[in-house]
Order: sequence, then C-alpha cells, then structure tokens
Amino acid sequence: MIERLLERARGTVDGGGADALWRREERTAVAFESGRLKAAGITEEAGLNLRVVAGGRMGVAGTTAAQPDPDALLARARASAELGEVVELAFPNPGSQLLPPVPTYFDRTANASLSELVRIGKQLVERLARPDCQVNVAVEREVADTEVGNTAGARGAYRATGIAVAADVTRIAGDDVLMVYDQYVGADMPGDADLETLVRSVETRLTAALRIVEPPDGALPVVFTPAGLAAVVLPLEQALSGKTVLQGSSPLAGKVGELLFDERLSISDDPLTPGRPRSRPVDDECVPSRATGLVEGGRVGRFIYDLETAARAKTQSTGNGRRGVFGKPHIGYTNIVFRMTDGERGVGVQHAAPLPSHILGGGLIADIDDGLIVDDLIGVGQGNVISGAFSHPVGLAYRVQRGEITGRVKDAAVAGNAYDVLKRIGGFGTDGRWLGSRWSPSLLLDGVSIARR
Amino acid sequence: MKDRLTAAVKQSRADYTEIRVERTWSSAVAFRGRRLETATVSEDQGGFVRVLDKGCGWGIASFTSLDDLPAMVARARELSRAVRLDEPIRLADTAPQTADALLDLDGDVRGIALSDKKQLLDAYNTAMLAVSDLIVDTQASYRDEVSEVWYVNSEGTALYQLRPEVVVSGTAIGRRNGSIEKGLESIGLRKGWNSVQGFENEFRVVARRAVDLLEAPRVRGGPYPVILDNELAGVFIHEAFGHLSEADFVYENPQAREMMTLGRRFGKPVLNVGDNGAAPGLRGTLPYDDEGTPTQDTVLIQGGILVGRLHSRETAATLGERPTGNARAISFRHPPIVRMTNTYIASGKPGVGFDDLIRDIKLGVYACGAFGGQTMLENFSFTAGWGYMIRNGKVAELVKDVVLAGNLFQTLDRIDHIAGDFTWNQMGGGCGKGGQFPLPVTEGAPHVRIEEALIGGDV
Repeated sequence: MIERLLERARGTVDGGGADALWRREERTAVAFESGRLKAAGITEEAGLNLRVVAGGRMGVAGTTAAQPDPDALLARARASAELGEVVELAFPNPGSQLLPPVPTYFDRTANASLSELVRIGKQLVERLARPDCQVNVAVEREVADTEVGNTAGARGAYRATGIAVAADVTRIAGDDVLMVYDQYVGADMPGDADLETLVRSVETRLTAALRIVEPPDGALPVVFTPAGLAAVVLPLEQALSGKTVLQGSSPLAGKVGELLFDERLSISDDPLTPGRPRSRPVDDECVPSRATGLVEGGRVGRFIYDLETAARAKTQSTGNGRRGVFGKPHIGYTNIVFRMTDGERGVGVQHAAPLPSHILGGGLIADIDDGLIVDDLIGVGQGNVISGAFSHPVGLAYRVQRGEITGRVKDAAVAGNAYDVLKRIGGFGTDGRWLGSRWSPSLLLDGVSIARR
Repeated sequence: MKDRLTAAVKQSRADYTEIRVERTWSSAVAFRGRRLETATVSEDQGGFVRVLDKGCGWGIASFTSLDDLPAMVARARELSRAVRLDEPIRLADTAPQTADALLDLDGDVRGIALSDKKQLLDAYNTAMLAVSDLIVDTQASYRDEVSEVWYVNSEGTALYQLRPEVVVSGTAIGRRNGSIEKGLESIGLRKGWNSVQGFENEFRVVARRAVDLLEAPRVRGGPYPVILDNELAGVFIHEAFGHLSEADFVYENPQAREMMTLGRRFGKPVLNVGDNGAAPGLRGTLPYDDEGTPTQDTVLIQGGILVGRLHSRETAATLGERPTGNARAISFRHPPIVRMTNTYIASGKPGVGFDDLIRDIKLGVYACGAFGGQTMLENFSFTAGWGYMIRNGKVAELVKDVVLAGNLFQTLDRIDHIAGDFTWNQMGGGCGKGGQFPLPVTEGAPHVRIEEALIGGDV
C-alpha cells in the first residue's frame, strides 16, 4: 500500500524525503450489560498517514479513503509543508534496519470466534454475579496490520493481536455507590488462570469495601496499588518526554544522572516485552525498537524521543514515534516497567515467592499504624500535572489501622507531589502486575496528605 | 447518499436497521512554544450500521470502506442473531423524521486558507508568549470541521445534517526555577470562522495568570464554604449530576432506579438544572441526535426535585418515558449512547450578584475556571484553574491546586445561593464515556455557592 505512495513522493519532493504509515484494524467486540449479553459488533478500518519534508519544511496528511489517491494525499502533505517549520529529519535507512524479534501476534487471538469471546464474557458474568450487584463485561479482540516505510528505503511491517477483557461491578446500597473494576489486556488470549485472577481481584476489593469507615486525616503512609499509582506516574511520564524537555517545561531537564528518586527505583520503556499490546519490532517512523532506561537506580536516565524531537535535540530517536491516521508523528510510551533495583545484587531482583496480585496492599500494610490503600483516584491528569503536584478525591480507597484493612473510606482527598513522595519509597509490594501498558507493584509512600470532610 | 442508504436499509432482512454515514472535512493548526507543530487538512469518512432482529441483541458494524455497505448490513444482522435475549430490546416510539438540517456555518471554514488559520493562531500564541519571559512554553491549537451526517432507519427516518465546529485553545506554561504553573483558555462553538476572532486579550489573561500562580501558595486542604465561578459551576453540574441523569446508568439497575426516583429531592428550592441540545450555536447543539430523535430542552431538577432524565430510545422504552434526543456517538466508529448536550444550572433571581454570595463568608474559597472533572457517580472531582481565598466577605489572596471532592447527595444539597448572572461556557475539550472521547458538550451556569465542600491539599 505505501510502496506506490513513497515512489510517487520520491519523484516530487526535492532534496527532502517522506515517510508513511498504513494501518488496518479489525475488531470484534461483545458487551454484557447488567449480566446479559446485549450487543456484538465488528469494526473494520484502514488509514494512511504521509509525512513529507519538502524544501526543508515538514508537512503531513492522512486519509481513511478506501482507495486513497496518492497524488491527492501528496498534494495535501505538500500544502501542509509550505506552512511547516524547517526541520532536518534523518529518516532511518535500511542499514539500521535489524528489527528485533518480539512476539506481537498470536493465532489463538486472531482466530478466536465470536462464541469464544461470548464464552469468556459469560464465564466472568457468572463468576462475578452477586445479589444487589450489576455486572458489566466487555470483551474485545483486535487484529492490526502495520506497514511503515520511508524514501530512504527503510521498511517495517508486522501483524499484532490484542485482547481486552474488562469487568466492572456496581453495587448500590441506599445512597452508597461502589464501583470496582479490573481488566485483562494482552496480545494472547487469557487462560483460565488469568480470568480467575481477574475474578479474585474484583472480589477481594469488593469484599473489603463493604464496610465503610471514617477516613483519617493528616500526612500519613499511603499504599498506592498498581492502579492507584497512575497519579504519581503521570508527572514522570510527561517530564521524561523529550518534547517537554525541549520546550523547557520539564522539571527533569538538565538533570540526567542526578539522584532524584529512591535509589531502588528503576523505570524503563520497553517495546520488546513479549505479548503486550504496545510491543512492536519497529516504531511508527521506521526506527527499530529498543528498551530505554528512564530512571535507573533512582537517577534520571534517558528521555524518550521521536525523529523530529531527536533532530531538534541533536540526539537519536529512542524509537518512541507514534502516529495515527491524521496528524504528525509524536512521542509516545510503549510499555512502562517499574523495577526494584537492589544495589548489592544488581538490577531486577524478584522476590522469592511473589504474592498473588489480588492480595490488597502487596504485603506492605503490616507496619502501618494508620494510613490508606489507594486503588483509584478521581480526576487524574486534570491538574497541573507537569509540576508533579497531585490532588484527587479517592475513588476507591481503604483505611489501614494497626496493620489491617478496616474498611473503605469515602469523601476523602489525597494530595502530594510526585517528586517528593518518590524520593524515599517506604516499600515495594510483591504484587507486581500489568495494568494496561504499565507493569508495577504497589508502592508504599510516606507523607501523603489526606483531607476529609 | 440518502437514496443509497434507504436502498440498503430496504434490503435488510432485520426487524430494525439503521445506517449512519459521516464525511468530515477538518483542518488543524498547532503551535508548541514559538514553533509550528502542524498545519494540515484532513478528510475522514465511514459508516455505521446497527441492527436488531426479533428476540436478539444489537448487531453492530462500523467501517471506513463504504463500498462494503450491503455486506456490512448483512454482517450486522448475523451479529444480532448471535445474541439471543429472553427479554427483547425495545425502542420507544418516535415520529419518523425527514429533513435536511443545515446548521449555520458562520463563515464556512472550508473556504478559509490554511495560512489564515495559522496566522490567527499565531497571534493568540504570540499574545501568550509576549506576556512574560517566565512563560517558557505554550500549546496552542486551532481545529475546525464541517461534518456531513446522513442517517436513515427502517422506520422511515431519513436525515441529512451539516454540523460545523470550531475550537481554539491555548495553554501557557510559566516556570520559575522548580515551580511550574499553567493557564488555560479555550473557545469552542458549533459555528465557524467568524466566531473565533478577536480573543487576543483572553489568551493574554491566562498567560498572566500562569505567571501569577508561580507565587501563589497551594490551598490548604479541608472543608470550606466555596463559591464557584460560572465556568467551574458548569463543569460541576456536568460531573456532579449530569452523568447520573443519563438513563443508561439506571435503566437496568433496580437499586439505581430507586436511588434516582423521579420526585426525590436533590437540592434546595433554589436549584434548577437541565440539558438543552437545541440551544443555538453551542458545542453540544444538534438538531437531531444519532438515532434521529429531535433534541430538546429537558428539565432534570426543578426547585431541587428530580423531574427528568436523559434518554436514548432504548432507555426510554425500558423506563416507560419519552426519548429526549440524547443518544450520541462521537463518530461512525461508535454506537450512540446516552450523553449530555448543553447542561446547565439555571440562573438565580435577576439582580442577585456575586457580592450577595460572598458577603457573609468569613473563610472560604472562590474557585475559578476549570481544568476538568471526573465522576464515579456518587463521588466526583472537579479541578479549578485557580482560586482565591475568601476572607471576611472579600476576595483575598490567589491560591493554586484547587481540586474539589464532591459527593452527589451532600454537595448538591449544600448549594444554598445562586446568582442571576448565567452564562454559557464556550469551551473546547469534551466529555468521555464508554471509550468515546471527546464528545462536544457545553455547560452553563451562574455563580453558585456551596455551604461546605471538601478541597484536597496539604493539611
């Protein structure tokens, strides 16, 4: 598909170049509403995105037309370039094209029938059914073909599968609304054990939430579960993007190598993790995938770049180019992986016997006299994220007293600054898990402010 | 196109068939700092088929290749037949509609050169950057579109709608050493080129605020009397109550139905709330929703009492109520679900002003502007852009990181004073639900006082 387009582009953009991405996606989804199967659907879409550098200036154009007209698309990209900025893009050449192998495609997922998806949904609905609870389950399977290429001759193509199984349980008792959800996301189909883990995760959190207790207040120890951690991770994601660094708005700019976090904390971006939906052998700009150490032993590691920001920062792309059908490529994370680094024994030491992920608090609450487990916060991403400050009402949180979970708290808000609370981590949980595209354990963070009514 | 869709619907062997086809022309310009990010024109198109066979569930197909239309109708029917239901899905009756509804394009954006759009945004972006050397970064974006939507169903409805939209927004980022703050301006309307001219000063103001916030203390956490400005009061009612009034939350949940029984008191007699998809020119405005139902002004709370809710045809049939024109999809890639349009808190008595609300507050917070909000139904957050402490009945010092923690039953009932200074917000952004984001919506409100609300922060 992109061959003809690039051929045409080569002939018309003087001294510049072009790259393109073509992606075709096919999805099948089933939805169970309030415990019963209500809808089944399919989606088929294809799109083509073209970027040109003409006269030193960059322009983009995209189309979802079934039979795209290469000349029309090229004309639009060139019109865009006429207004565009001067940029010295170094399109990767075929010599740099040793694509690392990473499993992204699983036959079982690609071939899963509608009735197989229904079976998974039904199984979850039956296992999660409780009186006075409404269970919604959505199962969605995707197959995507991606082709990338540029006028320097580099090419990349891969096929990927994805499956998402999401379950949410809503319990309304009088005026109390409790919502608990969890999901399985992967490139390969979930096995019975994966579905069982999902069920037990929802059950555990639901059961512990049935009793409502008063929230504490003050600066107290708080365990952020892998799901609750989102508010703390988001500022780092923004600050470690090469774009924010270039713009002068990253608090981490100029601090590479500085010890800003707990020495045991390492975070990487890893597109080569087998079987994850964001994994890929090549990025959307023809750059071969590789892992990037964002934080290494508490020190600021590398920032992530796409081709354009790398050119401007006079560095190399880290293979984090991402693009849709419309608009230009931008920086995007792939899989974010948290690791606990033990100074003595090197990187990536795992605990001997990890706790199953459905155990709330990840084994971190035994020494907490009074504090919280935060599993969900409301409004994450809507404040002044880049500064590191977070302040959110709790969506789902539990009070811990004398080392035990005593019940769910409502009408409380937690606040802090990601850069302060990650300086000294009270403990790494033994409940590490994938949540979407992030792998992390629970973290015990001290001195988080809890306000209550 | 209408004829083509009508023919495809006629050929369908299902009991109910609807087809929606969209063709969207759009252009976008973005600056980051002094650099242009993109200036581009796009065309997106595709179709959506939804089918209901007797005793079966919804069969849905969405696709970018319109050549496949008849095959997609057949596929959707197969999918519907794969979903067997004991209790059938029913759709509330609506009168068939046939119309060409062409909204005023207010300066057709398709006729304006991309370079003019770049120039307009450049002016707004430069206005932010010129405020101070402390403005280290900006994000400015211009996006417009003209969407053609064809909708045909097997009950005789056949519609063609022309829907324009234009959004200009800017974020100014101020930085002094380790301290980083932002100011946000956003203008979004279901109009065209003419409606986004002359906003330089608004962009200057938000950049100035980002600089001022660098010196402002964080608000101390705890419960306070709070006055919401018009913009935040609008976001508040959207999150606090709007989502609960969407009937897909209650229609199959007996406990939720009980909680949201019509006639229940949710607020004091001063509180009146509604959703108006027919208000002219606003982002949430549409002549017809994505099931072909005409939009309307739906009263939700009257004198503090719950009197209505927002419906699709399916939720209305289940609850024995009337469709309200609130079934919306963000694009052909998605099915219509129950959504808000332009949600509002109605104005208080004329003549009641901000001064009347603040006068007897000894220590409180005046929360202004909106970075956003999110709800988990009973509990919700809404994030102010900035705030001021209120001391002895007067607006005092600027404070930052003002995030309010709301509770449906407590916060709504504590609204005790509403000013007579109603305005519609004209913001960009949008609402997210069920994986569909951003849906264009608008909110409107006057200044509103909450006797006591929880604000997060250091304690």
